[in-house]
Amino acid sequence: MVYTMSPSGIPSPEVYAKLLTVYLLQNDLNNAKYLWKRIPAASKTAHPELGNIWSIGQHLWTRNFVAVYPLLTQDWSDEIKPLMVALRDAIRQRIFRLIGQAYTSIEAEQFASYAGLQVDEAIQAVVAEGWDYDSTSKVILPKRPVPSKAPPIPSEHHISQLTDFVTFLEN
Amino acid sequence: MPLPIQHISQVSLEPMQLDLQPEGSESQEELSYTVDSPTLDLEAYAVCYSGFAKINRLLFIAAHCPALRVEALRMALNYTQTTYNTQAYQHIHSKLAEAVTSSSLLPDAVAGVVHNIPSLDTNWIEMTNKKAALKLEKLDTDLKNYKANSIKESIRRGHDDLGDHYLDQGDLSNALKCYSRARDYCTSPKHIINMCLNVIKVSIHLKNWSHVLSYVTKAESSPELTEQKESKENMVIVTKLKCAAGVAELATKKYKPAAKYFLQASFDHCDFPELLSPNNVAIYGGLCALASYTRQELQKNIIASSSFKLFLELEPQLRDIIFMFYQSKYASCLKLLDEIKDNLLLDMYLAPHVATLYSQIRNRALIQYFSPYVSADMHKMAEAFNTTVPDLEDELMQLILDGQINARIDSHNKILYARDIDQRSSTFEKSLAMGLAFQRRTKALILRSAMLKNDIQVKSPIVEGSNSSGDNVSASAGASPSHR
Amino acid sequence: MPEMTRPLKSTTGNYSKLCEDINKYLDVLKRNVANIDSVLETLDPQMHALGVLAVLNAKYSAPASAGIDFETLFSQTQLFFTTCNGEQVRFATDNYAYLAHFFTQALVQKKQPIRGISTLLAALAKIQLHPGQLTSIHADICQLCLLSKNMKPALPLLDTDITDISQESGHFDATSFLCYYYYGGMIYAAQKNWNRSAYFFEVAITTPSMAVSHIVLEAYKKYILVSLILHGKVPNLPKYTSPVVSRFIKPLSQSYHELSNACASNSPAEVRVILDKHTEQFTNDKNMGLAKQVLASLYRKNIQRLTKTFLTLSLADIARRVHLNSPEEAEQYVQNMIEDGEIYASISKKDGMVSFHDNPEKYDNPEILRKIDDQLRECMALDEKLRSMEQEISVNTQFVQKSTGGRGEEEDVAFGSK
Repeated sequence: MVYTMSPSGIPSPEVYAKLLTVYLLQNDLNNAKYLWKRIPAASKTAHPELGNIWSIGQHLWTRNFVAVYPLLTQDWSDEIKPLMVALRDAIRQRIFRLIGQAYTSIEAEQFASYAGLQVDEAIQAVVAEGWDYDSTSKVILPKRPVPSKAPPIPSEHHISQLTDFVTFLEN
Repeated sequence: MPLPIQHISQVSLEPMQLDLQPEGSESQEELSYTVDSPTLDLEAYAVCYSGFAKINRLLFIAAHCPALRVEALRMALNYTQTTYNTQAYQHIHSKLAEAVTSSSLLPDAVAGVVHNIPSLDTNWIEMTNKKAALKLEKLDTDLKNYKANSIKESIRRGHDDLGDHYLDQGDLSNALKCYSRARDYCTSPKHIINMCLNVIKVSIHLKNWSHVLSYVTKAESSPELTEQKESKENMVIVTKLKCAAGVAELATKKYKPAAKYFLQASFDHCDFPELLSPNNVAIYGGLCALASYTRQELQKNIIASSSFKLFLELEPQLRDIIFMFYQSKYASCLKLLDEIKDNLLLDMYLAPHVATLYSQIRNRALIQYFSPYVSADMHKMAEAFNTTVPDLEDELMQLILDGQINARIDSHNKILYARDIDQRSSTFEKSLAMGLAFQRRTKALILRSAMLKNDIQVKSPIVEGSNSSGDNVSASAGASPSHR
Repeated sequence: MPEMTRPLKSTTGNYSKLCEDINKYLDVLKRNVANIDSVLETLDPQMHALGVLAVLNAKYSAPASAGIDFETLFSQTQLFFTTCNGEQVRFATDNYAYLAHFFTQALVQKKQPIRGISTLLAALAKIQLHPGQLTSIHADICQLCLLSKNMKPALPLLDTDITDISQESGHFDATSFLCYYYYGGMIYAAQKNWNRSAYFFEVAITTPSMAVSHIVLEAYKKYILVSLILHGKVPNLPKYTSPVVSRFIKPLSQSYHELSNACASNSPAEVRVILDKHTEQFTNDKNMGLAKQVLASLYRKNIQRLTKTFLTLSLADIARRVHLNSPEEAEQYVQNMIEDGEIYASISKKDGMVSFHDNPEKYDNPEILRKIDDQLRECMALDEKLRSMEQEISVNTQFVQKSTGGRGEEEDVAFGSK
């Protein structure tokens, strides 16, 4: 079980670094925060990368996306690097989802800084997404994301369920 | 940090200190405000009341209206000299002297002369006190004799007379005691009603409103009143009871029942100078009704009521207000209301409720205005209510949050839209919430039955400091899970 | 020594007799802790689980002067909990729980709580008759998780609703019950699962009480804060709450009630005044973090109120009405709340307006139907549980006797739920 890995309860800084990044990737900031709190101070000083990862977490906590992007492109260790690329993509996807949901119109400049892109890159990206761009007012007109359809329940199964419910409710 | 609170308490303390009186015959919770330009004819006003009501009402006006202060106090002073209430006399006299000095630039003595303030009549005070003591002694001996002879009717009268005397002296609590003692010697329904009326009269001045209401009920249930409704004497009694109950409900902020009681008063039999005048009935009843009745209720109980119409004739402004409200002429209705506000603030029973009643009336008007619409232009609405669009928006927001108007504001276009609710969705929503609540409750109950089965109970205080570590978690729990 | 090891090494099938025998030897064991390891070496956790258990407990209760090496003891305990014979230790649930408590306390003292979590989870799995059974080890696990700031391992336990409590030979008491619900409430609060957190604190508060417990008092304070974050107000406690709570606990939580009153005014300024006024108390109670979240949630609650009254409102007006500093700050709040599903709205930066929408859920798609199905099924399972409980009670001789006489509180509860 777990103890073979770390009988003392203290894993290596590399394990911590990976776990912390994965928490960020899952946007589970709460547990990322508690993980950061329980990492021993010695590991933090020995492995400064941990602190760099957490500073991204802090900005995500306040949803300050603009501040996150420059931090993502640091010189990460080989183990962390691919995770950071994935994190950047995840954040960008989240931005598209969020802006699509929350805005009917937004300044191209504001959107570009949220997405961590140059303004012309951002315009290209939103047009590719099927959104409109009004070049005179420099405003992006996002479209609401379409909720994914869940597969319908097979009807036989449905009927047997309904029978159960009706029996229950009638009693 | 505690500054704001200190500030508030200072503000509420000062007026109390100013109003602090040796006998405290006025309520302590009074608000401090002044009315500057009343249109009240004090002479005509005072004539409507007698006894305690007259004194208290005049004192109330004196406290809140600098313009009428001296005159009101002077009238009250003159009136006290017709009673045995020497304490009130002294108290009013000192107030009058104070009022005169403070309103005049002249030195005390000169001001007293200029304004023709009667000097304190110590002679009268002494005489009256003596007379009162003599009368008290006589009444007491009489009562003792009656008791010795056990003549029920005389004993009852003796108690009543004693009560009347105490009341005349301004001793409310002894008056109440005597009137209540008469209760055991009542031999007819009439006596009981009489006793009730006496207790009610004193309780009103003592501001014991629950007492008032219970004695009103007691009197009303008497067969005398239920069976012989038509007699003039009984009509007068019934009207007194309704008015007393109305004032009690009003004082406890129950405006709708208050309106109902006042509307039951009979104009031709309204004779209750110890409490209120017919004008008061019109105002109290009319305002309470406006604040609490629906349009239909207003139509049925006021506009179509031939008896209350007679009361309203006494207060033509209020009558106009009610009719304008009913005809949805809100701007002029609210404007007129504003005009009569000053006079209402000089009424000791109504004053504490004027602000609440006015805002309720206004809210009713807003609700009524919007009720037939699917959407309403807020610019027009603001115009109809003599207000600005931003202020209207605030008012509407509060009404929507309180659930009084079912609508939403389009602040962009300044339009108020009636809200239509998707019944199907809201039913789903409600049932899901109910399901969750059921689950939570049931889980708690299952757990609870396991608890009881295992006799889990906090028995003796848990000794603190038993935890073996200083860490925060178990320290704040105050107990450690080890060593049982 | 040999006569001492005899019962320890017994492998007879009569375990309850064996438990008694071993308990008699406890003092002998404690006197001989110095060379007890040699005994331990001859024992096999599978065959002599009760013996090993007794030896380990003796080692933990030895005085510090005995010079026991903790690392050895730690791995011995770990080995025991992971490999012992579950069937045997069920005959000594009390001693088994003691060992878990000793283990926990030792780790807490050494400030290494994280090392014990997985061991105790294994220990728990071995002793529990079913997942819904509460043991006193639950509280230990939660304590370790909280102290090590590693909450996740406790969640599967906490998420399972308790239907039954292990007696542990009469040693399970109110303290471990209260601790479990108090720690559990704290863990849920740390996970921002306010609903569940409030429920756990409520259970702790409503535990039958004849006296004031510090745990209940602290649970009550946290219950107020969590409720304010969750609902913006404090709901009434259930009727069965002990009078102790309103008589003694409430007066001891005055500052918390003031905070609750300030929240009722919907004014962030008033809440801030109370927070400032009682900073010392909140900090001493280690509740300042929660108290600050109360303030943050008030802004969100106020924005939610706006959605009930407005169809459209400008960002500037939102900022003004909920007392935020700027339209930008309002935009940030609205954006966050939309992302978190707390309001349904869309921002138009063209004119700085926000449009509020109704819940777009139309209750006509398979996904929501599945949710409803799940809930119904949960209700059915609960109903089933109630039926079986009723059944159990109706055949209970004590109940039959009682119900022919006066009805007791216990039965009222069972019937009251039907």
